[in-house]
Amino acid sequence: MMRRTMRMAGVVIAGMVIFLPLSSLVIWSFAEKWYWPHLFPQQTGLFYWAKVMQGDLLRALTDGFLIAIVVTVLTLIITIPLAYVLARLPVPFKPLILMVFLLPQAFPQLPVFVNSTTLLYQVNLGGKLGGVVLIHMVGALVFAVWTMTAVFKSVPEALEEAAINLGASRFKAFHSVSLPLATPGIIASTLLVFLYSLDEFTGTLLVGSPFVLTLPVYMYRTSVGYELQVASISALMLMLPGIVLLVLLERYMKSEYLSMFGRI
Amino acid sequence: MRLSHRLAYLVIALPPLAIVVWLFFIPFLSSAYLSLLREDQWSLRNYYLVWRLYRYDILYTLWIAFFSLVAVLAIAVLLCGYLRIHINKPVEFLFKIPLFIPFVVVGHAMRVLLAPRGTLNAALSQIGLVNMNDPPSIAFGWIGIAVCLIWKNLALAVLLVLGSYRSVDETFLEAARNFGASAFQQIKDILLPMSKASLAVAGAFMFTSMLASFSVPLMIGSGEPPQMVMIDVFYRINYQMDYGTANALGVVSYLLAMGVAGYYLRTITQKGT
Repeated sequence: MMRRTMRMAGVVIAGMVIFLPLSSLVIWSFAEKWYWPHLFPQQTGLFYWAKVMQGDLLRALTDGFLIAIVVTVLTLIITIPLAYVLARLPVPFKPLILMVFLLPQAFPQLPVFVNSTTLLYQVNLGGKLGGVVLIHMVGALVFAVWTMTAVFKSVPEALEEAAINLGASRFKAFHSVSLPLATPGIIASTLLVFLYSLDEFTGTLLVGSPFVLTLPVYMYRTSVGYELQVASISALMLMLPGIVLLVLLERYMKSEYLSMFGRI
Repeated sequence: MRLSHRLAYLVIALPPLAIVVWLFFIPFLSSAYLSLLREDQWSLRNYYLVWRLYRYDILYTLWIAFFSLVAVLAIAVLLCGYLRIHINKPVEFLFKIPLFIPFVVVGHAMRVLLAPRGTLNAALSQIGLVNMNDPPSIAFGWIGIAVCLIWKNLALAVLLVLGSYRSVDETFLEAARNFGASAFQQIKDILLPMSKASLAVAGAFMFTSMLASFSVPLMIGSGEPPQMVMIDVFYRINYQMDYGTANALGVVSYLLAMGVAGYYLRTITQKGT
């Protein structure tokens, strides 16, 4: 009996800790007139939701999704072969290569991206969709190489060897044996990369704005003004893909992948 | 291993390597180069400016990171101890949620919650704890930033620490319980000592990421000194176009990150764990 109430209390406290900050966002997005010291808005409605649908938010949203899809597809294409090769085969300079994909997470991104922006402007990619895609890929590749190499390593080598013993070429063993077995892990990595690109802020702010905006940058720009409703609606929209992913894919998400999300 | 095979593997590695080298490593190294240039001449003046203008901000940043790290680890150690001993799946799931909420959203949400006339103060004023004519300002100070970093990093810490606790054999805990150990004693004397290595690694990582935080102080900061170091770099570039000093500050931040990581790695390898 005591155990039961303690558990319920724990859930309630945890719920409050997690949802209290987020609840303000929900209230703000429906507020039409709200002056302090009132606890709740004096007038609520969908006015700002309608306003937002006609404005720049939709463009930022679609641009962000488009960029995220392109980033995800490109990252997948160039990472899967590398991950398989790193997991199984002797690559020249393997430790060095693995280091290259480790260090970007160890150092502060902003000063580096400041200089990257200069490089991108020099090749005329600054302020363009292509430039933003590339800057997203820097971070996305780091996550993708880590997770996918681990995925391929977890596929038992014995199964591939069995296929090769039966006459399959290395490539056939890869795509008929390893790839199908690695699919759940690859799906998890893909979603990680997609969410990373959708939520990326620093690189997009430096490289893209003010011409190419994604939702996080748009949200920042609207939040420094006085119309907190628009910023709050953008924030809620930004949260949705993440929550959907969390709920739908709890069973694919092993701890290693989940810990990558903590760095977004 | 045939040379053609090895060359093929290198070619496969090339596209990802090229992007990361071009857009991360070259800019990273050019920070050092640019920090030593001022008006096209070699000079240490940038570092002198960093010392003169930003040394307090560096301390401020280190303080926030340190405070937030200690808070996160303390909460995580106790919370995960509770979750390991008395299983509570809903709470575990709830604490995973911040993982999926980007830093920018956390910054904005906390700003709205903790602003002087924000929802938290409005709620407290209903009970009479806060006077809305002269409200305390949590949001725009270091505490607001720390709360954001703690809230978001707690999810990651819970994940890592709980994983580490779960690898501790149940028999140890049962033996302790047979001797009458309370949950707190089990955490203090068994779970915590056996997780020291994981805690050090998680701690080093979280500390460097807090040091490097940009979107949170941008959303929730006051725009006045003291500022976190990444904001200083951003403003220096954006408003003064002073790449020399900004990169010098960047180099200082890289050294701090390397220093922390190096210290913890040395601590782990020394213990031989």
